[in-house]
Amino acid sequence: MLSVLIWFPILAAALVAILPRKIPANRVRLGALTLSGLVFLWNIFLLLKFDITQPGMQLQEYLPWNETLGLSYKLGVDGLSILMLLLNTLLSWIAIYSSSQQTERPRLFYSLILLVNGGTAGAFLAENLLLFFLFYELELIPFYLLISIWGGEKRAYAGIKFLLYTAVSGILILATFLGTVWLTGSSSFNYDTISTQTLSATLQIILLVGIIVGFGIKIPLVPFHTWLPDAYVEASAPIAILLGGVLAKLGTYGLLRFGMGLFPQVWSILAPTLAIWGAASAIYGTVTAIAQKDIKRMVAYSSVGHMGYILVASAASTALSLVGAVAQMVSHGIILAILFHLVGVVETKVGTRELDKLNGLMSPVRGLPLISALLVLGGMASAGIPGMTGFIAEFIIFQGSFSVFPLPTLLCVVATGLTAVYFVILLNRTCFGRLDNDLAYYPRVLWSEKIPAIILAVLIIFLGVQPTWLVRWSESTTTTMVAAIPPVEKVETRYIASLHQ
Amino acid sequence: MVQTPEKPVTKLPPSTHEFAEVIHRLEAGGAMLPDTPENLMQIIGIYKAYAVPMDFYWRDLLYIAERVFLNPFAFFKYFIPKEYLERHNHYAGDDADLRIWRGEATAHPELLAFIEKGETFKMPKLLHHLFHDRINMEFAEACMRAMLWHRHMYAPVNQFDSYLDSEEYKANADRAIKAYFQGNPLMLGIYKLFPDMFLEQCRQMSYYSNLGLFWEVMAPVFFEMSDLYDEGKITSVPEAMNFLVNGIFAIAGRPIYHHVYIRGECYEIISKSKGFTWLYEAALPYVEAVFYRTAPFRGTKSYNAQAKQVPDDQKDFHYGILYADVFPVGTAGIPPTLLMQDMLHFLPPYLVDYYQQHCRGKEDMLIQLGISFQRSMYCVTSAVIQALRTALLYPLDDTNPKHLQANRAFFEAQLNRFCRPEYGMRDAARLRDIQTQDYR
Repeated sequence: MLSVLIWFPILAAALVAILPRKIPANRVRLGALTLSGLVFLWNIFLLLKFDITQPGMQLQEYLPWNETLGLSYKLGVDGLSILMLLLNTLLSWIAIYSSSQQTERPRLFYSLILLVNGGTAGAFLAENLLLFFLFYELELIPFYLLISIWGGEKRAYAGIKFLLYTAVSGILILATFLGTVWLTGSSSFNYDTISTQTLSATLQIILLVGIIVGFGIKIPLVPFHTWLPDAYVEASAPIAILLGGVLAKLGTYGLLRFGMGLFPQVWSILAPTLAIWGAASAIYGTVTAIAQKDIKRMVAYSSVGHMGYILVASAASTALSLVGAVAQMVSHGIILAILFHLVGVVETKVGTRELDKLNGLMSPVRGLPLISALLVLGGMASAGIPGMTGFIAEFIIFQGSFSVFPLPTLLCVVATGLTAVYFVILLNRTCFGRLDNDLAYYPRVLWSEKIPAIILAVLIIFLGVQPTWLVRWSESTTTTMVAAIPPVEKVETRYIASLHQ
Repeated sequence: MVQTPEKPVTKLPPSTHEFAEVIHRLEAGGAMLPDTPENLMQIIGIYKAYAVPMDFYWRDLLYIAERVFLNPFAFFKYFIPKEYLERHNHYAGDDADLRIWRGEATAHPELLAFIEKGETFKMPKLLHHLFHDRINMEFAEACMRAMLWHRHMYAPVNQFDSYLDSEEYKANADRAIKAYFQGNPLMLGIYKLFPDMFLEQCRQMSYYSNLGLFWEVMAPVFFEMSDLYDEGKITSVPEAMNFLVNGIFAIAGRPIYHHVYIRGECYEIISKSKGFTWLYEAALPYVEAVFYRTAPFRGTKSYNAQAKQVPDDQKDFHYGILYADVFPVGTAGIPPTLLMQDMLHFLPPYLVDYYQQHCRGKEDMLIQLGISFQRSMYCVTSAVIQALRTALLYPLDDTNPKHLQANRAFFEAQLNRFCRPEYGMRDAARLRDIQTQDYR
């Protein structure tokens, strides 16, 4: 069942790669779209089979593979990963849909996207540490190629930077995985057989720091984020959607699953640091976004800010804040996807991403009215305006984290305010104002360019007014995860409690 | 495609004006608009598309001025009765006073078809109105109001306006107002208390009549030009402009008046015998008020008194079609949208084909036709400038250099209106844009 999510796209990738040369690009795109649509439907089917009352792994699959390495093909899905899988298949489909009809080297392009799709699904499904690492590394080369072949002007630089950072991240993660397994004397790399209880606190902290830094590069957290603006900006729109929507989630997912899941005892010791780190990341991301002159860069930095909230929520590790963290991962995925898609459309139609040159796109006849309207919606969703999914996720995070880390939470609230600031700057400069009469002869927007954004917008609003569909999947899993973490040194909580007396 | 202007007939040295090219063209008998087949097609096609709603405008304006008059609840003022649709245009048909258009004197068949079916299908007039499937009469009223508000233009040549303040006018209006509200003590009481209130309304009605009578002439002129173009008898922009100039002189002396019909009786508020004429009392104020001035668009300028975006002096108003930014047509706060929407229904097929080949094709036709409209109004303004020159100064083929110099000074003074730096007038003027086809 779950294997289909991994192997169908990989086989599809192989199929697309060997298609005859004479098939035109738009046909290849259509084929890739159909195949990835099938994967998405299968994922929906799995969602229907998913039992939300069960906290543990479901729909498990097991095949012994390399016993001496401790590597086994063990898959499973729980409340933490089911939504990530869905996000992965949905955004892959959207990415293919939003790619140009005349993509160059279409067979390689679409087969790489499908490969990424299968690899990411594998990483989210893997219940074996080595297996996870295999899929994690599988992302590396395809993304490098996707950035550096189809990217913008500085694509080579951005591609290499992405490759190096992600490779270092992989090394750190592998080192920690190996360390964990050897030190605990575990017989295999299977997730459920590893128990870190026997290790000393110091060792656990060292290992956990390895995990945090390894995944922190991917998330990315502030000092390790410098690959992100380059990679996001230089990548073409569909690739940016995948990078921001899916790949970044691999980082936060890894942090929750392997950081919090494997080292619950010491998690609470590092939690205060993580919370401050996350809040600093959020503030840094938003402040830097305000200074940008390029709309894609702004959106890229907005991603840094939003990922900071997830870190704060994970650090707080209350039942509520974890639900919020998962919700924020999904929200951020779809909001970033719609923003990157729209920015991509604006760039292709207008020919620039400069804030100083864009103007008046809201104009109904000569501008890009629907695209601008959706950009306003996406911006508002990203800034946490109620009625849209961004608010739900952020509010759950704040509500869940405030009792544990009031100060970092308040900093995050300030960051959402600043998010509104730079999105208003962005919207004001691009959508409002008047068109330049010398330049404003933009081509019309095709339906194929509007549909992905419309789908995502509907999803953003639906999950915003009916948030049960966002949180119900992960509730029981996160409650169980939190139960494993011993009562945190919740100094602030006691302080607040004393205030009430 | 820009045609180089013909050499001036006499040896006046080249102009040093920034629009020297345009001035040389005007001196050679041309228009402000370059003479290209593409321009000709656009302006004639737009005249045709403009004339059909105009045929409705003038009929309804006169209906409101003559019949609706001071109705305090004029809910149905845009529903013209049959009688006004069948009213004979004085310049078309067999019984015309001065036949300009060879076609029917009653409403244009395309207009009748639109009134009946609109963009949807045949249904009662009221439903067409409620679904906004109609002619945007508000635009005509906005033009009328621009003329009313920019009063005192072209005085003393224009005497219509000062007449509205004369005792004679007040006495005539008083009689009509009393007759209109006869048997209505409430309204009569209000009139007693606030006599100026209805008097000012009455002045507005006189301007309804003024504009209606102006457009009664322009509609057949534009229809005839379109027909002549179709017959191949107008082949260049100067020819089109000259047709307008000749039309202006032929019609210049037509009377401007305001008659009101109350219970079958005619009240002459401004009688024909006052001698107000079409050229001085309607055409020139109209061009000044609507082509040059109007009022700032609510969607482009801030009326904030501290921001000083809108001039203090009405003379400096520059929001007419010659200055208008057509790109935001279709947006909120841009009044010409109403007219563009009206013209959209009556485009000749050759213009529809032409627009489909450019920019966004059918999708932004509203703006493309708006820019063609701007071109065509530059042609009309050229005709007015040439007519004024003919009336006040010397012929173009005059051999006296002093006379030619006077002509040139006149042309330069006219074009200087598009060069003034105050309030960004220079940047707003579209004269430079329409010199090329890239502006569409």
